[in-house]
Amino acid sequence: MSIMQYNGSAIVAMAGKDCVAIAADKRLGQRALTVDTDFQKVFPITDRTYVGLPGLATDVKTLYDRFRMRVNLYKHREERTIEPKTFSHLVSHMLYERRFGPYFVEPIIAGLDKNDKPYICGMDLIGCLDFAKDFIVGGTASDNLYGMCESLWEPDLGPNDLFETISQALLAAVDRDALSGWGAVVHIITPEGVITRDIKGRMD
Amino acid sequence: MARRYDSRTTIFSPEGRLYQVEYAMEAISHAGTVIGVLSKDGIVLAAERQATSNLLEQSLDNEKIYEMNDNVVAGVAGHAADANTLINQSRAIAQRYLLKYDSPMPVEQLVRRLCDMKQGYTQYGGLRPFGVSFLCAGWDSTFGFQLYQSDPAGNYSSWKAACIGENYSNAQSILKQEYKDEEKEEAGPNVRTVGSQMTMDDALKLTCQVLSKTIDTAKLSSKKLEFATITLKAGKPFIHVYTSTEIDEVLKKYESVIKPADSQ
Repeated sequence: MSIMQYNGSAIVAMAGKDCVAIAADKRLGQRALTVDTDFQKVFPITDRTYVGLPGLATDVKTLYDRFRMRVNLYKHREERTIEPKTFSHLVSHMLYERRFGPYFVEPIIAGLDKNDKPYICGMDLIGCLDFAKDFIVGGTASDNLYGMCESLWEPDLGPNDLFETISQALLAAVDRDALSGWGAVVHIITPEGVITRDIKGRMD
Repeated sequence: MARRYDSRTTIFSPEGRLYQVEYAMEAISHAGTVIGVLSKDGIVLAAERQATSNLLEQSLDNEKIYEMNDNVVAGVAGHAADANTLINQSRAIAQRYLLKYDSPMPVEQLVRRLCDMKQGYTQYGGLRPFGVSFLCAGWDSTFGFQLYQSDPAGNYSSWKAACIGENYSNAQSILKQEYKDEEKEEAGPNVRTVGSQMTMDDALKLTCQVLSKTIDTAKLSSKKLEFATITLKAGKPFIHVYTSTEIDEVLKKYESVIKPADSQ
């Protein structure tokens, strides 16, 4: 079993009309044993950029701390907040610096840029960027998420429809994955602000 | 005679003085004035940009006031280039602290680290000292709002109201006169008398008053001034650096205390 499957996770980001959504499950396990059912895998980077980190839990925490440091330095030096596109290149760079001893995470970034345009992207554990117009998936349930997103996602969803779509996609995907689940958190990022909702799924 | 002792920073003169360090402080007392005033619910920082050619492109960025961390904002008097390296270092230090301990760096620790860097250049040979003084305004959860002044020698001290740069002694005496302190009788023998009677409005007003008397200009304007405040917003430190329109509004609001220089 790969170390990427050790803790278990399912994260998905979707683009809508003038909004983006990012959702993650809450399980933290050690192989088949569930340890925590309220583990944070999605982190705010700015008011309107979020990053999801599916993969090895220890690297999730370490990487978030390092991102926070780099983004704060950027903010003070440039006297502006970082754009999601700039941030994803920062993340990619930080991962490729560890090309031969990588952090075991596949980051997913969702945000709105300065023109309120939706931006989502993902990458592999050494920082190969993957830009998408529709959705990005990651974690142990990524195969299931691909299937759900392919069938549920449609262009130009508003914030409410996008919430419904991403929630159903994630809940259905984790129900067929033993390593993720135990409820989920969904962030809907709109120009007016971020709506965060916790959802219960099958708690088993 | 002095020539023998002032060419190197690390040599004491027979009178026990470090001339290079004193010259650096002298350089700062000709730099643009920076004023800091502590109040009950925040700190005001104001800085003067010294007159330059009107052919010079007006910089959009601040030249004198910088955020050092989410909880510390600093005003600079002296060599801008020296200040830049120190500020970059301070920002990195503050962020490394956050990475290590997952909590914001206390204000005094950051100021001390900054001063350690400055001190090094007055002791190790071959280099000149940093020609900058800072006024650091910050907030932390242990000691609340704090205002620190630092000099090229690496000394730092905590103040309720302070001024560095040109005319600093003048400004300091006005601050001393006008600053409304907590009444001493109210505090018991073991109570630390921190805090002041000033509100943020009072602090802004006092800052404007002192600026008008220390800066050698016919009329105060946003072109030559920079303003910043640090307050608490929802329990977290909030740094606000004023735009030029906001500065003009402040100056207009306190017009009554800003007397034109020629009327004195």
